[in-house]
Amino acid sequence: MKRRQLLALTLALAASSALPAIAQDAAQPYAGTHIAVLMEGHPTTDGIQALLPEFTKETGIEVELEVIPESDITAKMLLEFSSGTGRYDVVQNNIIYIPGFVQAGYIDPIDDLAAKLPKYLDRADFVPGYLNTNIVGNKLYGLPVYGESTFLMYRKDLFEQYGLTAPKTFDDVVSAAKTIKEKSNGEIVGITMRGAQGIQNVYVWAGWLWGYGGEFLTSDGKSALGTPEAAASLDAFAKVLRDYGPVGAANFGWEENRVLFQQGKAGMTMDATVNGAFNEDPAVSSVVGKVGYVPVPKQSDALKGGSSSLAVHSLYITSASAQKEAAWLFASWATAKEQQIKSFGLAPNSGVTSQAALNSDEFNKRYGAFKEAMLGSINQGNPQYLPTVTAANEIINNAGIAVSKALAGTASAKDALAEASAANDAALAR
Amino acid sequence: MFKDATKLFYQPVIAFFGAVSVVITIYVLWLTLHNISLLRPGQEQFIGLNNYVRLLLDTRGLNALWRTVLFTVIATVIELIIGLSIALLLDREFHGKKIARAIMLVPIVMTPIVVGLTWRFMFDPSSGMANYLLSLLHLGPVDWLGNPQVALFSVMIADIWQWTPFVVLLTMASLESLPGDPQNAARVDGAREWQVLWHVTLPALHRALLVVALIRAIDSVKTFDIFYIMTRGGPALSTETLNLYGYISAFTNFDISYALTIAMVLTIFTNVALLLLYNLAFKAQARGAV
Repeated sequence: MKRRQLLALTLALAASSALPAIAQDAAQPYAGTHIAVLMEGHPTTDGIQALLPEFTKETGIEVELEVIPESDITAKMLLEFSSGTGRYDVVQNNIIYIPGFVQAGYIDPIDDLAAKLPKYLDRADFVPGYLNTNIVGNKLYGLPVYGESTFLMYRKDLFEQYGLTAPKTFDDVVSAAKTIKEKSNGEIVGITMRGAQGIQNVYVWAGWLWGYGGEFLTSDGKSALGTPEAAASLDAFAKVLRDYGPVGAANFGWEENRVLFQQGKAGMTMDATVNGAFNEDPAVSSVVGKVGYVPVPKQSDALKGGSSSLAVHSLYITSASAQKEAAWLFASWATAKEQQIKSFGLAPNSGVTSQAALNSDEFNKRYGAFKEAMLGSINQGNPQYLPTVTAANEIINNAGIAVSKALAGTASAKDALAEASAANDAALAR
Repeated sequence: MFKDATKLFYQPVIAFFGAVSVVITIYVLWLTLHNISLLRPGQEQFIGLNNYVRLLLDTRGLNALWRTVLFTVIATVIELIIGLSIALLLDREFHGKKIARAIMLVPIVMTPIVVGLTWRFMFDPSSGMANYLLSLLHLGPVDWLGNPQVALFSVMIADIWQWTPFVVLLTMASLESLPGDPQNAARVDGAREWQVLWHVTLPALHRALLVVALIRAIDSVKTFDIFYIMTRGGPALSTETLNLYGYISAFTNFDISYALTIAMVLTIFTNVALLLLYNLAFKAQARGAV
């Protein structure tokens, strides 16, 4: 008897707790759905993570957010994609992989979902240059989470002190680096840039490559790293870093490079526009207000593409996802202008992709110092800055080895690039 | 019948592990005969021995193999020499022996990630401890991890720091189990301490040292974590071992078949080398050559 009473009581309790859920169903048709999201460790992700409870409250969708370093994220998602597990419903990645993912059928177009559930979407509000990178074959595949370009950052105070003007060509960069290092008696290095082998050094050197009139791939899809322009760009990059750069630059990644510049130990650096947010943050930087921002220099006017990058990282819905609609709601919510504007107070996030957020007072107040240079770089940003073919990762890796060799002096720029070019052609043919 | 009953306990286990190894090896072999790429699903083809030919002609792969050999041989030899010396020094009763032994365990139980990060900070060219110490001697600065001539040895230092205590512990254990009589007999016969060491103690430790060397050599070939944390194979490929090249082929280039080929070749190479070493050492001893 007692057991039956207990059973009845349990049932009654379960029913009463289920009631509100049923009542909410109309407003929250996806309540109780679990989705898994894989995102990159980045200030934007920190903001989304902090705002996540609001999304769950609004929609009832439970989000399991996994955050891993950008350098490991592609391998991680590819392993899941290729075994078709459907482990992740939404993934974040760099635009350079997207043509490969589309071709392999790993991600789905989102046009239908956007038409069906437009609740959070304001397509016209995205920076067009960012959104358009996600269109492959007339179909939209992703929504941009953050975007950035690259620019040259220089210490206005030092430039004034030594009578220098903001560099326009790479020759200007080299001579300014020389002056700063010599006149400060080596106390302050002329320039700091990332030298670590792989995407780290390639992301910065690519600006020199394009700025000297080089390119990664020819129009017929062959490697173009064996050209004199490429060799000249790498030669100059390696020399300026070796002669006027910091000790240990060969192992500098984004973090090491950024910190050195923030500490006021370098006269210039060339890196992602998001670094501006760190330079202007008094909590971490000792150079607030002392930094000038200009576009990445150009050595000639006859370029095959712009010398500043256009790096866009977006959210994509996986083909293997079992709950695409809930996944779409999350992707469109996380990239909506409301969240982007709120994120300013949560993380140093200058890479917003919403025009409303870019034009907000909050943005101007925090990042006004480099806003103009950043928008200028984005507008000239080169969507082919890094190759966007299926073998992109391998091409970048091979180029990174060449940059590292030239920097270490174990091979001449020309020889190192010839080797990388041959390896890239082999990878492209595979 | 009863004598054989114990076989029933261990034979199934051996059969199971054996079968699993054989099945996996054959499966991997089969995969290496294809061109599987994570970026080209559904387009795999049978390409025979092409991957093996590619590796044979791949200078990057051959250089990585050479670095693996260099790292394994030098690290193992140095660990053995330092480890043995420390063990001999500690092989006496003294105050705080237990504490010394406990401290010895610290590097071994640390995870390689922590070891790699710690050494990376120590080797930081501008704010690291290593260059600070050198500057006291008016030397340096050395770009420990940024100079391709030095980087492999810098990683080796971290590996030696972590694993020498392992050699010390195993050597101390076998030193303690040695009977003291032969040594005392030698001393009574008028041998000096270094003669006792060279002619009596070391030959008795021979077998234990070989086992330690084998374990360390196998581990060195497989070293991955500290390379990954400290250099990721850079600069200019100067610290890319075959193991790391396999990792990059798989997870940067997504070329699964080639990565498995590298792993397969490394496995075969290691097995042959170690079997030769093992046979040379133990068979020779069994014949009474030592």
